[in-house]
Amino acid sequence: MDSRYRCSLFSFAVWLAVLELPAFPQSDVFKPPVGPVPRMADGKPDLGGVWDHPFVGDMTKSGRDQVGAGELPFTAWGLAEWKNYNAEDGDATGACLPHGLVRSINAPFPVQLVQNDKYVSFDFETDNWFQVVPIDGRPHRKQIATWAGDSVGHWEGDTLVIDTVNFNGKTKVDSIGHPHSSQLHVTQRWTRKDLGHMALEITIDDPKTYTKPWKNTRTFTLRPDWEIMEFSCEENNKSLWEGRIKAPKN
Amino acid sequence: MKIAMLAAAAFMAAIPALAHHSFAAEFDGKKSIKLEGTITKVEWTNPHIWMYLDVKDDSGNVVKWQCEGGAPNTLTRAGWSKDSLKPGDQVALDGWLAKDGSKTCNTRSVKMPDGRNVFAGSSNNDDK
Repeated sequence: MDSRYRCSLFSFAVWLAVLELPAFPQSDVFKPPVGPVPRMADGKPDLGGVWDHPFVGDMTKSGRDQVGAGELPFTAWGLAEWKNYNAEDGDATGACLPHGLVRSINAPFPVQLVQNDKYVSFDFETDNWFQVVPIDGRPHRKQIATWAGDSVGHWEGDTLVIDTVNFNGKTKVDSIGHPHSSQLHVTQRWTRKDLGHMALEITIDDPKTYTKPWKNTRTFTLRPDWEIMEFSCEENNKSLWEGRIKAPKN
Repeated sequence: MKIAMLAAAAFMAAIPALAHHSFAAEFDGKKSIKLEGTITKVEWTNPHIWMYLDVKDDSGNVVKWQCEGGAPNTLTRAGWSKDSLKPGDQVALDGWLAKDGSKTCNTRSVKMPDGRNVFAGSSNNDDK
């Protein structure tokens, strides 16, 4: 190819990457609202709103608005789980089973947070999963292990810290299939940076799977022009019905 | 033409992939495909839209294909509507083949009847 064309193509690619053009031409490039952190009556930051965020299909990799963990510190058990995983043998989300906590946050769909002084609810658009997190200081519930675990939150200054335990171990932490066990302990640290942006740091601590905790951080962007939409995974899951995707056996 | 195709590829690369499930569970990222044909039906449904098209093979025989796109929610926010494609529309798709060998693909881009080449919400997370 003529070098002039290579140069212009590279420039065009960079230009497109910067603009993040939508699939169809639209009149305006979205700009998040500008302003200070909104606050509740008690002075705590209000995390509410519909938030866009990066799709994190592989929590080790960095990308736009997110910093990955890099190489993971597998235990022998964790490494065997990772090496033996094959999505063709069964994929929970493809079978419309629960995503679990971390994959719900990682999914490429927005989430709406609604908050009062006792709870923060996470209304995930992905498969319309939700999680209601008490933030009034109560301890973890004693109940059977679940797909999304049991979450409680508390404030550390202006950061909402959510602690989640008691997972059933049937999910993966991301789409590519990084493993976890029922010993998974997830810590989310949510910090609204300003009106239009929120930072999230997720720490994965699972001594059966990893020799030490590891983190992934990302930036959420407020979308006041969006609403959470209906998402029925079961509506037309042809890939499962026609046998191209298998349900996991566990 | 070559330039237009490469520019379109750059356009696609600027948009993140969208996944309801693991791409690798169903599709082979090493087997890309380009199809030109006639839309016969569109299912504007969750968790993915499906486009059905008739494609003529090298012998002139019509082969029926089905190709997955992104979720309606995401595609709506990106400017698609359920009427963006209609039966009878002539389109060109590019994407990746299903691993089971069926006439099924995951769609990266669609060249619409008006000539625009638009992202179709592929779930291939490595296509960045």
